[in-house]
Amino acid sequence: MPEVKLVGIGKRYGSVVAVNSVDLTVHDKEYVTILGPSGCGKTTLIRMIAGIIEPSQGKVLIDGRDMTGVPIEDRDIGYVFQNIALFPHLTVENNVSYGPRAKDRPPEEQVSVSRRFLDMVKLLDKMQMFPGELCGGEQQKASLARALASGSRLLLLDEPLSALDSRVRVDLRYELRRLAKELGLTTIHVTHDQEEAQSVSDRIVLMRAGAVVETGSPEELYTRPKNIFTANFIGETNLLEGWVEEIRDGMSIIELRNGGKVQVNQTDQPLGDAVVISVRPEFVFPTDEGMKARVTHVTYMGTYWRVTATTEDEEDVGFDVATFDSNLLTIGKELYLAVNPKAAVLYPRPENGVEEAIKLE
Amino acid sequence: MPNVRLEGLHKSYGDIKAADGLDLEVRDGEYLCVLGPTGAGKTTLLRMISGLLRPDKGRIFFDDKDYTRREIEERKAALLSQSYALFPQLTVEENIIFGLDIRGADEKLKEQVLISMLDLVRLSGRSKAFPGELSGGMQQRTALARALASGADLLLLDEPLRALDARLRISLRTELRSLVKSLRMTTIHVTHDQDEALVMADRVAVIREGRILQVGTPKEVWDQPATPFVANFVGQSNFFTGKVIQSSPYTLLRTPEGAVLKGRPSELPAGEEAVLGVKIGNTEISKERAGYLQAAVERVIFEGRNLHVDLMMDNGQRISAKIPSWRKGKVVVGDRTNVYWEESKGTVFPMPPGGLENELKVE
Repeated sequence: MPEVKLVGIGKRYGSVVAVNSVDLTVHDKEYVTILGPSGCGKTTLIRMIAGIIEPSQGKVLIDGRDMTGVPIEDRDIGYVFQNIALFPHLTVENNVSYGPRAKDRPPEEQVSVSRRFLDMVKLLDKMQMFPGELCGGEQQKASLARALASGSRLLLLDEPLSALDSRVRVDLRYELRRLAKELGLTTIHVTHDQEEAQSVSDRIVLMRAGAVVETGSPEELYTRPKNIFTANFIGETNLLEGWVEEIRDGMSIIELRNGGKVQVNQTDQPLGDAVVISVRPEFVFPTDEGMKARVTHVTYMGTYWRVTATTEDEEDVGFDVATFDSNLLTIGKELYLAVNPKAAVLYPRPENGVEEAIKLE
Repeated sequence: MPNVRLEGLHKSYGDIKAADGLDLEVRDGEYLCVLGPTGAGKTTLLRMISGLLRPDKGRIFFDDKDYTRREIEERKAALLSQSYALFPQLTVEENIIFGLDIRGADEKLKEQVLISMLDLVRLSGRSKAFPGELSGGMQQRTALARALASGADLLLLDEPLRALDARLRISLRTELRSLVKSLRMTTIHVTHDQDEALVMADRVAVIREGRILQVGTPKEVWDQPATPFVANFVGQSNFFTGKVIQSSPYTLLRTPEGAVLKGRPSELPAGEEAVLGVKIGNTEISKERAGYLQAAVERVIFEGRNLHVDLMMDNGQRISAKIPSWRKGKVVVGDRTNVYWEESKGTVFPMPPGGLENELKVE
């Protein structure tokens, strides 16, 4: 029943703070991703959980047991690296049975366990091959089978799909979640890819500059992000600046910098304050009044059209159109845009401006 | 600016055919994405165009002039490699004017080019920094500026965004495209990322095993895939097999279980074994509406704009659907549902000679 608890854990390299005191509990059988841009500290964090990096402060508890000073091999974890780390001179089967063999399990068990997991990742027919004979996705599946065959109930995945082509990555992420759930594993998965995080997680921990920005389910972080960085990092959004002009009937009326006015079902920002609205492209629609804009770009997205329109204030607003409508999809076309008041989220204007608040690197 | 035409290019490395009869035309000023999996021959293609690699067979034309045997310098093509290959010991500005330097350009020209390039890629404030001091995105922009400063009018981009974080990659797509477009360069951009290709390209060429499978606008490649591989590589599809009943004005297919499926018109003879592909985003599910097939909902994943729904059909086949997120709560695990699609969204292909599974392999 692995539960992982991080208590004020941090890592310093000289004066550089890689991770700055993180508290987090990952529950038994939960699938948690640690998501963030390059350099946010996510890799350092998972390596401290694994015991590859010694924390400068705080501690890691696995099932209530303090792991300080416990080496990786005694933490009972399955670990999958970004750069596939199979033994090149062993067959796929012998790679997978490595854990049971190292633990001196009986030979029949070594075979049955490795076959079981090879079957799960659909590599039974390639088990006599050497890693070099497999393609990237298959190699990573073999690494996963090896981690699972170790018998550990705690799986740590360090950017497991990053080295793969995007199309392969998409197929494997659904497979990863399926396996983790079928086996009832506690999983901690590090990634920089917000789409991957959304598809696999029960809960996402979003990091930036060594600290946790926000934690929540994929749905919470997409629909009601508490932080403007989250709103921009997870999914696509329009960030529009303005002022609270009026508050009435449970609604705020925002006068936008681009001249338009929009309503938002949220009243916690004071009258007159500078605010930022985050609204996703699927919740912006053309109408008779609202923000005046001119269509500047149209992209076919397969199941809808993504339109970019530029306001008189040179702000770009993206919105989606379900079916082809030459009235809307003509470059240069002038139109008015409104937002769905229920789906827009209001933030106080960040002190150092929006650009700084959402900066990725 | 040039128009580029490739005719029957072949290039082999031992038994591996990196180019196996490549034909491709890139129009003047066009942004063309070459999309395909790792090992499809994308980098080989760029290296042959740039002159770094001679084809075993076939010809390369720039503006209808045969350049197959011409020197690299004559081609006015700039290749931006995956790893950027910046000189670590040179500053941003030294990297950018490197090409002009070795050609002995005069100081005034170098100065002019440098100022405009730094401005273009928004690095004016970092011109004295070394590559190691820059973020990944800045390194990418430096490499781009260096490629542009060489005075080339054909830009060859080898997975230019691959080394960057996913979120940054998305932000840089539009930026990179508009930058190159503003300079009116002809651009060939190779990528394995189908979203990137769809968003950035004027036209997409899908490549596999050294051959171009289809060239078309993003909409053509999405809506009218030439092969099952294209249907599945560009946007993920569900596939159903059966025998052709009729092929016009729309195609009808009978599955082994007796269901009758509809797709766009084809030229397949009645009785032929065929495959119908439908994008998962065009695969509709409904309890109320009649469908071609029945399935049980196995899993629903919230993915922001969409829900990803995995379904188990009555014949044991797994399929998926992508539906708008507002339907959350109305589609629940265990639900029995009908599966259908608009007939224009189904494409019918002859059964691939090596079998469907082989055809769909993405690695």
